[in-house]
Amino acid sequence: MSDDKNEKKIHGIVAEFTTVDTLLAACRRVRDAGYTKTDAYTPFAVHGIDKALGIKPTVLPWLALAGGLTGTCTALAMQIWMNGINYPYIISGKPYVLSLPAFIPVAFELTILFASFCTFFGMWALNGLPRFSNPIFTDPRFDRVTDDRFFLYIDSKDKSFDAKGVEKLLGETGTEYINTVVDDDSPTTIPKFLIVGLCVLIGLSIIPALIVAKMRVTNSSEPRFHIFPDMDFSPARDAQQTTSLFADNRAMRPDVPGTVARGQVDADLDFLTGIDMDKFSQVDSDRAEHLVRTYLTPLAAEGEEPAAGADLPAEKSVMETTPWLDKNPVEVSEAVMLQGQEQFNIYCSVCHGMDGRGNGLVNQRAQKIMASTWVPPSSLHQDVLYSDQYPDGKLFNTISNGIRKMSGYAGQIKAKDRWAIVTYVRALQKSQNASMDLVPASEKAKVEKQKNKVDKQLKEAAEAERKKEEERAAKAAAQ
Amino acid sequence: MSKHAPAIKPADDPAFKLPASLSALSLPLCIGGVLVLIVGWLIATYGVEQPKFGMSAYLAAFMYCLTLVLGSLFFVMIQHLVRAGWSTVVRRIAELVMVMIVPMAVLFLPILVTLWTSDAALYRWDSPSFAQDNHLNEAMWANKTMWLSQDWFTVRACIYFAIWIGLAVYYFRGSVEQDETGERAATDRMQFWSGPAVMLFCGSMTFAMFDWVMSLAPMWFSTMFGVYLFAGAVLSAHCILAVAAYLLQQAGAMRDEVTVEHYHDLGKLIFGFITFWTYISFSQYLLIWYANIPEETEWLYHRQLGTWGTLSLVLVFLHWMLPFLGTMSMYVRRRPRWIFFWAFYVLVMHYIDIYWMVMPEAHAGVPGAHGSAGGALGVVASVLCVLGMVALIVGLVLRVASQTRIVAVRDPRLAESMAFENI
Repeated sequence: MSDDKNEKKIHGIVAEFTTVDTLLAACRRVRDAGYTKTDAYTPFAVHGIDKALGIKPTVLPWLALAGGLTGTCTALAMQIWMNGINYPYIISGKPYVLSLPAFIPVAFELTILFASFCTFFGMWALNGLPRFSNPIFTDPRFDRVTDDRFFLYIDSKDKSFDAKGVEKLLGETGTEYINTVVDDDSPTTIPKFLIVGLCVLIGLSIIPALIVAKMRVTNSSEPRFHIFPDMDFSPARDAQQTTSLFADNRAMRPDVPGTVARGQVDADLDFLTGIDMDKFSQVDSDRAEHLVRTYLTPLAAEGEEPAAGADLPAEKSVMETTPWLDKNPVEVSEAVMLQGQEQFNIYCSVCHGMDGRGNGLVNQRAQKIMASTWVPPSSLHQDVLYSDQYPDGKLFNTISNGIRKMSGYAGQIKAKDRWAIVTYVRALQKSQNASMDLVPASEKAKVEKQKNKVDKQLKEAAEAERKKEEERAAKAAAQ
Repeated sequence: MSKHAPAIKPADDPAFKLPASLSALSLPLCIGGVLVLIVGWLIATYGVEQPKFGMSAYLAAFMYCLTLVLGSLFFVMIQHLVRAGWSTVVRRIAELVMVMIVPMAVLFLPILVTLWTSDAALYRWDSPSFAQDNHLNEAMWANKTMWLSQDWFTVRACIYFAIWIGLAVYYFRGSVEQDETGERAATDRMQFWSGPAVMLFCGSMTFAMFDWVMSLAPMWFSTMFGVYLFAGAVLSAHCILAVAAYLLQQAGAMRDEVTVEHYHDLGKLIFGFITFWTYISFSQYLLIWYANIPEETEWLYHRQLGTWGTLSLVLVFLHWMLPFLGTMSMYVRRRPRWIFFWAFYVLVMHYIDIYWMVMPEAHAGVPGAHGSAGGALGVVASVLCVLGMVALIVGLVLRVASQTRIVAVRDPRLAESMAFENI
């Protein structure tokens, strides 16, 4: 040791060993002598060195566990919030909040991600990283730690550190090289070329962002740049277009002959059409036969829509002569009613409104933008639509095949559900004309309260309207 | 290394011999096992009012033992494939279990016999009127029966057993002969063949599981099914090693050879394969749940009714969650007693897993029986069957073990295995 070293701050003392066994023996000695701020440096992982140095088990596993649990909870909470609460969106008909199986893959991924982050950054934190320089690097022989030498280091911050004692202790372990680790005297300032280089890099990296920013505010007559033209201009045909791919030139393919919707194979014709077929065959045997053929022999009906009124002439007389089923073939029960309500709210209410008065969201929007081709949907609460004038079967047929501008829903709603909608519509119609006597006693007070409130509001609104009107009239008169 | 290279004892050291206390159990276990198996089968056949219950209980017991044996076979091959050093001290246990594929082939005979002698005694596709009874399209069913026919089923079973017996005997003989010769080249030879062996094994295992378990519900299919059973098989093979090593050490054998480090590694692998089992079974469930197509959901739907629904939840919480949390900590893994406990526990859960796969199909075609487990008598009978068959197999393992050694004493990697350290 030269004198000038003594003037610098001493960080600790390092000893070099040539074999794993001598290193481990030295570690045990140092541990038994009571030193705790120690470290061993080896070219490869040495089993048993933790124990030899007396290093306590790391808390890293707990960090990983905490990270993993945080990940699981985050993922579940995020998905329940996004899919179930903030923006409920029907996906494959699964429940919103408790689609647990669908949430698990994301929960699994986030568990792994958070656990890895916690392990990785926890390891850094526990090791005091990042650290750009370590005084032990000043030792001239320390480089060989990456090759074939083993080092044991005792830090001067250790409580029982005393340079003489440590040197003596290490000397007894059979090492051939002991050195005092002192401050690194290499310059601490960052070299200029690094700063300049970094600035240049930052400057260059801004350029793409600047170009994008400029492009966003510049108009151009050049056509848009297409990276994937076959994706931007898909060769797929739209529904009503022609194609040379098929002999009939239709892009829209008809159902394969014999196609039957799930759950409809066993239903009888009355159920599927809403028409009393026995009577129908007596009244108009030709049409009845045609109808039977389209339903029962799909081969013959290729390309034809197997629907009751699809090819019926729109003459009123035909609709009237058809012997519609008077009675809904589905028995009324609470389950059917609820199913009908659900289906009505999904498919019908967008136009007809939740209450069936014909003022659904689509209608409101159409009125707002004054769509010229818009035919307002009918209110379902008209005398002509009540069951005495409009049989259940006819209502069913209307839902199935549409009327005027309304399209048929046979393709979207199962026959059973269409009958459930009929049930619900009947209940809806009744509800709009119900007298107070029909309301159960338990609900009466509630309904009356609501009625009074609405009446009052209506009255106030009428009053305000009248006042406005009067004011306007007065103003007009004054002018 | 911290320890000096451990001294390898001479090949005839008593530490490598099966303790006399255990070898004495061999004969009683074999005889008792056969008796219990027969009693269980009789109760299941004549005590439960479902025609297929007896053979289903037998199949569940058979599949349980078969997965343990095949899992052990896979363990041995994979150790050779990756040239594993740590596992040498416990590999012989797996080798002893894997040769039990020979008695398993004999135990398969009752299944083959019932297939040939009576219609639909176990497999529904075996009934000539199956398509008619289930309103299936005849043309579609004709395609299925090209695969599911008595002849072809029998030929396939012979192929599977030929492959497994060939592999098991090859690896067992290679290892046991090395005990005498100490030939290093034997290890290289076994490693050379382990690659093709693993491929052969995985292919045959997948199709065997399709044939023997999945075809219980002939119209249902899941391409993941083979992997699902494979996951359970490898998981339980590791559990057997832990349980057997612990019991052998308790009886006084291989005390210096198997250390806490090996339990630690087995614990890690058990933990890993619990997760793998969950991963595979959940993947299978997720795809079926998401697509929600009737012909796929049917199988799981039946397992959500009544008792089976409870059992499904038992699998989720007790086959996965509890042992997953239980074996997570290093503290547990480094305590052989705890690893013994969890390994034994998982072995029990593995039977419930098999039971859950096989037994619901015993009720197929019995009106109103879905969701029941054949009553208390049915459960007792099924448990007797599996206990009997396990006892028989353990008895046979002990018999083979008493004639050879319980550690591969002259394996070139034995010293490495004994000196193995985790930390």
